[in-house]
Amino acid sequence: MSRTRAARLNRKMDRLKMLEKEGLLKSREGSRAVGKFLQNKLAVVGLIVFALILLSSIFAPLITKYDPAMIDLRSRLSPPSREHLFGTDKLGRDVFARVLYGGRISILVGFGGALGAALVGVSLGTYAGYKGGWLDKILLRVSEIFMSFPQIILVLLLVSILGQSLWNLLVIFTITGWGSVYRMTRSQMLSIREEEYVQALKAFGLSDGLIAYKHMLPNALGPIMVNLTLSTAMFILEETALSFLGLGVPLQIPTWGNILNAAQDLTILQEAWWIWVPVGLVISAFVLSINFIGDGLRDAVDPTQQG
Amino acid sequence: MLTYTLRKLLMLIPMLLVITFLIFVGLELTPGDAVSYMVGPEAMANMSQERLDELREALGLNDPFIVRYLRWLGRALRGDFGYSLTSGVPIKDIVFSRLPATLELSLAALLISTLLGSILGMVSALRKGSILDVSLTVAGMIGVSIPQFFFALVSILIFSFKLGWLPSGGRTMPGYTTFLDRLPHLILPALVLGITMTAGVMRYSRSSMLDALSKDYIKTARSKGLPEWRVNLLHGFRVALTPVVVLVGFRLPMLIGGSVVVEQIFQWPGIGKEFVAAVRGQNLPLVMMIALFSVTAVLVASFLVDLLTALLDPRIRLE
Repeated sequence: MSRTRAARLNRKMDRLKMLEKEGLLKSREGSRAVGKFLQNKLAVVGLIVFALILLSSIFAPLITKYDPAMIDLRSRLSPPSREHLFGTDKLGRDVFARVLYGGRISILVGFGGALGAALVGVSLGTYAGYKGGWLDKILLRVSEIFMSFPQIILVLLLVSILGQSLWNLLVIFTITGWGSVYRMTRSQMLSIREEEYVQALKAFGLSDGLIAYKHMLPNALGPIMVNLTLSTAMFILEETALSFLGLGVPLQIPTWGNILNAAQDLTILQEAWWIWVPVGLVISAFVLSINFIGDGLRDAVDPTQQG
Repeated sequence: MLTYTLRKLLMLIPMLLVITFLIFVGLELTPGDAVSYMVGPEAMANMSQERLDELREALGLNDPFIVRYLRWLGRALRGDFGYSLTSGVPIKDIVFSRLPATLELSLAALLISTLLGSILGMVSALRKGSILDVSLTVAGMIGVSIPQFFFALVSILIFSFKLGWLPSGGRTMPGYTTFLDRLPHLILPALVLGITMTAGVMRYSRSSMLDALSKDYIKTARSKGLPEWRVNLLHGFRVALTPVVVLVGFRLPMLIGGSVVVEQIFQWPGIGKEFVAAVRGQNLPLVMMIALFSVTAVLVASFLVDLLTALLDPRIRLE
């Protein structure tokens, strides 16, 4: 190392120490993760595509004048035109409008399922991971049972028991997804539990719940956020697959999967590509953007996971 | 090794008992009982309540819950899984007649994904940080983001309808006798399933290869003056491949789940397609038993993986 470089590094260190003394470092710490995320080109592209699709779904009525449920038998199966951007389906409904409005439900189901699983998994995992003991042992076994089923088999099993509806799908995704969140949160808590500040809090006589949820959980939030993002992508894919099979959201509600359901008809598959190809591409782009964001988040919050 | 095996077995058996118990509870909660399947609605209307109760008593349906569970478990262990609601065919016969088709598809997909994934993962690791590595990583992410059924539909449109190279579905036709006759039907579904599984294998073998390349014996091999390809292939790749193959090989039972959607689209007459049909038809006994079957396969396979890894790496046994 050259002498000038050493001197420069020394100066930098001094500056950091000074900042630390003044208590200014904390705000910089937050922006470091953001800066790291923004440096990742794929993550930024992902964020833009994600925002684009999400916003156009939310503001669907401003973008298209068509009602996704409006049947127009005079213009059935018409190919894409200026009038109908993605053409029309078998009943003459505007496919572009259906994709926009369908996004609302599909994104809601995907995000809702991931959120439900995270709420259950995190709230159980935080406490059980901190306390350990019989509660943790039992929950670990229970989550193992849920996770030993192939995911789609368990989902379909629950669909056949609970029946098909939007709410049931959210419940089913929560039931099938909480196990992995639980295990991840728990292992985070196990390592945080060894930190000295936790010992100190215990010595102060704080209650278990307060230590676990208020003081330990915030330090485990990074990986949890990453998991939430990636499982949103997974549940969106699962919703579309289930609805495609005709076993997800009831058919009369437009969702991305339900639009693709039409492609089970071989003539539609062959003759009317505009009904199913654009929506398939939209799903792929949306899920890909979430995966890019998740990857960027992981690199930003946890540098050790970089491969 | 023996104590380790016994310990693992002691963990496996209670899990299976709990799962069978849950499945049994599910079966009990479904409407109707054995009498209503056996007698049929018209005959039942003509029978007196006493006669029905007598039948129930004779069949042991009034016994305590736990007795019924144990009796059901005993029958299941002997291979009697009950009957399908819609066709009345024994569930055992349905599962075993569908299993070969699913195994055929899964094995083919496994072969494709292992070959493709391990080679691409190796190349990616050797050129770490290059444009090739980055584009393979991005391609892998695209691969896991495209819905499997959309990929299947596009490939049917292109290769079956536009180009007319391959059949769009089914497994056999009248007059087919050998595997070679069936092969064209297998190619498309196996490729779709295999390619969608490749991304995971690629990621895994890339990190395994990177791990192997950082070992000391690679440096030794290099310092002996061996050509670079020999170092990479014989010393790096061979070692890196072992954990990949072990892991991939025993993921086979998970494929029963993985192939559900593909079997449905290509009308492949396997367990997955039967499962979807059972869910659609509210044929709960069949749904439950296929789920039980697949979960048992997964648990037994992971038990075997544990034993095998303990055999390969003695440190695990002492854990």
